Amino acid sequence: MKTTETKTLKVIFEPIWKNNPIMVQILGICSSLAVTVQLKTAIVMAIALTLVVAFSNLTVSVLRNAIPRNIRIIAELCIVATLVILADELLKAFMYDISKQLSVFVGLIITNCIVMGRAESFALANPPLLSFLDGLGNGIGYGSVLIAVAFIRELMGSGKLLGFDVVPQAFYLSGYENMGFMLLAPAAFIIIGLLVWLQRTLLNK
Amino acid sequence: MSSNFKSVLFAIVLCLACSLLLTMASSGLKGYQLRNIKLDRQKNLLRSAGLIDDQNNNRPESIEKLYSEKIKSLWVDPSGRIVKETEREQNDLPVYLYIKENAVEAYIVPINAQGLWGKINGYLAINKDGSTINGFTVYKHSETPGLGGEIERSWFQRNFEGKKIVNKEGKFVSISIARGAVKDVIQKDFQANFVDGISGATLTGKFLSASMKDILKEYESVSVKFRQNMIKEIPGNNGAEN
Repeated sequence: MKTTETKTLKVIFEPIWKNNPIMVQILGICSSLAVTVQLKTAIVMAIALTLVVAFSNLTVSVLRNAIPRNIRIIAELCIVATLVILADELLKAFMYDISKQLSVFVGLIITNCIVMGRAESFALANPPLLSFLDGLGNGIGYGSVLIAVAFIRELMGSGKLLGFDVVPQAFYLSGYENMGFMLLAPAAFIIIGLLVWLQRTLLNK
Repeated sequence: MSSNFKSVLFAIVLCLACSLLLTMASSGLKGYQLRNIKLDRQKNLLRSAGLIDDQNNNRPESIEKLYSEKIKSLWVDPSGRIVKETEREQNDLPVYLYIKENAVEAYIVPINAQGLWGKINGYLAINKDGSTINGFTVYKHSETPGLGGEIERSWFQRNFEGKKIVNKEGKFVSISIARGAVKDVIQKDFQANFVDGISGATLTGKFLSASMKDILKEYESVSVKFRQNMIKEIPGNNGAEN
């Protein structure tokens, strides 16, 4: 039993740190630039993507013996697209304001290489439960970077967290200014770069 | 069974299952979504009139209540005359009135403008003096997030508050979006007719300015009535304004 236990743990924890989809595999950069201006949108995006990856992995894995090899990419695409549209519809129905802010990026989850990548490289070869956990792990790995970047950007760019003012008024009175640059996409690039650097340094210790 | 036949069969079954699932989700959630869209529209209308701000989370019930109490929608014909909803013709324009203590406080013009990538939908509230802008909101657009998409941000929309759609002589000039900050690029005499532009979104500003001018020109007959102080009572209640 010991070996399966460690394998399960490895499947879920490896993508969160050692094999992080953004920091190591450099996947999903596009959306991490776009939705990290505010913490709130980043959190919703992280949850949406985690659910999509987990369930697409699960579905692909359940069907892995039935999916014909020659049309497997299209079949995966079909499953992922269905899940993405479902996520979009649910957001529109229950979190309308956030879905407006995320705009096209929910629909673009489908182009996020993480989703197809996991389906193709992991779910096709592994049993459903393990695939589901792998999806969760990768989603959390992606989401945690997203949230870290959004935390830094919202704090430094608009002096807020989750929409609440956190930088005290006294700071502004004594000459502190929000960094407008943090609100632009290049700032996310730089933060992700710094995070990659930090992670590699810590890993190579 | 040949492998090709199996592939086709699998594809058909998968497509059917997926489309069935999506159809169910779409029709099941439609009610919620439509209500959200309507609420969002009402919220923006109220926000343009300054009745609510974008910070506090407004509950759907309070928005619906506020809307039915304070906002009155009516139609006017191109000469600015009010027409009954049932008798309206194609050229007639919708106007919303913000009613405060039984008097018209402001009128709200729907802005269905052309942006760079698609339509920009919003509301422009103009004070009862017929020339000062009370507020501007955008509830739908397809501009690039971070660039033209900034039109939905409150810093940009706040820009419009207190600006004029008429020049110093009282002639209609519309409101335009400057290329940069108004105080840097616009002469002092004209600053009341310009709002700060968005850096990196010159074209969005240009299109929006042009569309706003066209729209406000259409509504000029209504604005003139307000400017000449001809609308004192709430129109439509007893057909007084005619």
